Amino acid sequence: MSIQPTQTPIPETAPATVIALRPRRGGRRTPGGRPFWLLWPSVLMLILIVGIPFLIAFYISFLNLDQYTLRSWIHAPWVGLSNYLTALTTENVVGASTLVSLGVSIAFSVLTTLFITPIGILAALTVNTRYRGRTLVRALYLVPYVTPTFVTALVWRLMFLNRTGLVDRFLSATHIASINTYWLLGPNSFWAMVIADVWASWAFIYIMVLAGLQAIPSDIYDAAVVDGANAWRKLTRIVLPQLRHILGLALLLSTLNHFNNFTLPFVMFGTPPPIQADVLPLNIYVSSFQLFNFGLGGAMSVITLILMLIPGILYIRTLRLEEATA
Amino acid sequence: MKNRKRQIDTQEILPPTLRIIAIVVLLIFAMIPLAYMILLSVTPDVEIGGDNLLPSQWAFGNYLQMWSTVNLQQGLLNSVFISVIASCIAVVLAVGAAYIITRFTFLGRRPYLYSLIGLQTVPGVMLLLPLFVLFASIQSLLHFMLVGTYQAVIITYLTFALPFATWLMVSYLGSIPVDLEEAALVDGATRLQALWQVIVPLALPGLVVALVFSFLTGWNDVLFASVLTSPETRTIAVQLQTFSSAQEGGSLPLYGQLMSSAVVSALPVVILYMIFQRFLIGGLTAGGVKG
Repeated sequence: MSIQPTQTPIPETAPATVIALRPRRGGRRTPGGRPFWLLWPSVLMLILIVGIPFLIAFYISFLNLDQYTLRSWIHAPWVGLSNYLTALTTENVVGASTLVSLGVSIAFSVLTTLFITPIGILAALTVNTRYRGRTLVRALYLVPYVTPTFVTALVWRLMFLNRTGLVDRFLSATHIASINTYWLLGPNSFWAMVIADVWASWAFIYIMVLAGLQAIPSDIYDAAVVDGANAWRKLTRIVLPQLRHILGLALLLSTLNHFNNFTLPFVMFGTPPPIQADVLPLNIYVSSFQLFNFGLGGAMSVITLILMLIPGILYIRTLRLEEATA
Repeated sequence: MKNRKRQIDTQEILPPTLRIIAIVVLLIFAMIPLAYMILLSVTPDVEIGGDNLLPSQWAFGNYLQMWSTVNLQQGLLNSVFISVIASCIAVVLAVGAAYIITRFTFLGRRPYLYSLIGLQTVPGVMLLLPLFVLFASIQSLLHFMLVGTYQAVIITYLTFALPFATWLMVSYLGSIPVDLEEAALVDGATRLQALWQVIVPLALPGLVVALVFSFLTGWNDVLFASVLTSPETRTIAVQLQTFSSAQEGGSLPLYGQLMSSAVVSALPVVILYMIFQRFLIGGLTAGGVKG
């Protein structure tokens, strides 16, 4: 799985997360200068478009900034921590405070990750061995994942339409629920969002697991077969322990990606969304760009950023761990 | 001895019957929404609310009508233009940066790498807000429009495309042995020549991955474009989103045409993925893209 310094071919399916963080030049002097100017454009660019905006985000979170004070935002009234208090205590138009949205976001990202993991592992196991038509199956598995999120959201919006959507038609035809079940309003909207996101993202786990499966040495399987292991034992004693590491990374990344998913609920429900689907990024967006309370939006972003530091640091630590073992 | 003839694939974990059942179930789950999208895209708008799932007649005309209902052509062109420019800038800058990062040690190298990864965990809205404030104040200070222009959108797309492309290129360039370019350097090539003539051709698969992914983040974005574009610069994603929300109040929602437009805007992406599938999967596992 790791990319060895001497290895020439670039692996196409193996995960390329592991990189040598130390250049391998040793003490040798090579002719040719050190063209550091190649690095400067991207560093300057990142400072300009990411670094400075970050500082501005912190600054405006302490301001009373709206569309009237926007033009001279440096002179907008300083309000201290009151944006943070408002964010945590006050409800927005649909009745969701930052805390409520945070709960929705966490439940959404953790639940979707929990649902897609077994699906992704199962899918990877179905294409692990050669058979006719495997290439086609592999390609078809990817289609939902590669479909742009705004298209996914539009399709599922119509799938979940009251009375005329495919979901309600199916539920009433099988007598599971009334044809008049609302999915885009009320408590069901959370589940509508989860189902749509599970559909769109299970292939992410599938891809990661497949890459991990291909890195398992085949003699381990051979030994297991000689020992007479059945499918279940192979899965729980060989595959899952061997995949432990890449699966951990996949779950972490998946949770992060779902937490940051703005497009799906935004396009699926429109604004304002039902309170059960008012995820944090959407709440910030509505507060900032539809209610024009930029200070409040800033405070909510800073809160989000601090929360995201926890999985973010975990992610970086995972990579450092790999580097150590590489 | 006869049993030996059939080589047992020891890597097989699922029993064959279970595997076939699993494939069928997964494919049904994966394909139903797509089939529904295509079905609706050829259903007349008036029949979508009706009792029957299947239309009484196919309305292939949706695929012609939609071009005048929504300004699809401009949306598609804007999307292509913005995404191509942003991804090209990102990849060119990323190759230079990745070359330095993988070939030299310098102060702050490791923190720089980690901040590239860290940036991928930052929610987009966190950057959109200050960038919008920044653009708005530059506008009022220097008296020229920025919000609503191509430049504004392209710059904001770089906030994600650039760190991601750099990270990808670092992992690709890191796997290219230094010996190759050292040979070129000994032969009298300059660093830049070595980079251009030795490294870039070898890193071509990585370049393609970085280019395609940066392009797709632009194509798929709704967040930045919904705030920073004007009706003239709107990307296809935002046009479909506004078209969709405009269907709510109207007497007859044009869902058929909405779905035919959705098919047309998803198709380039799906085709792009299928063409580069082999390369892209390696890239996917590297960065865990698509938020």
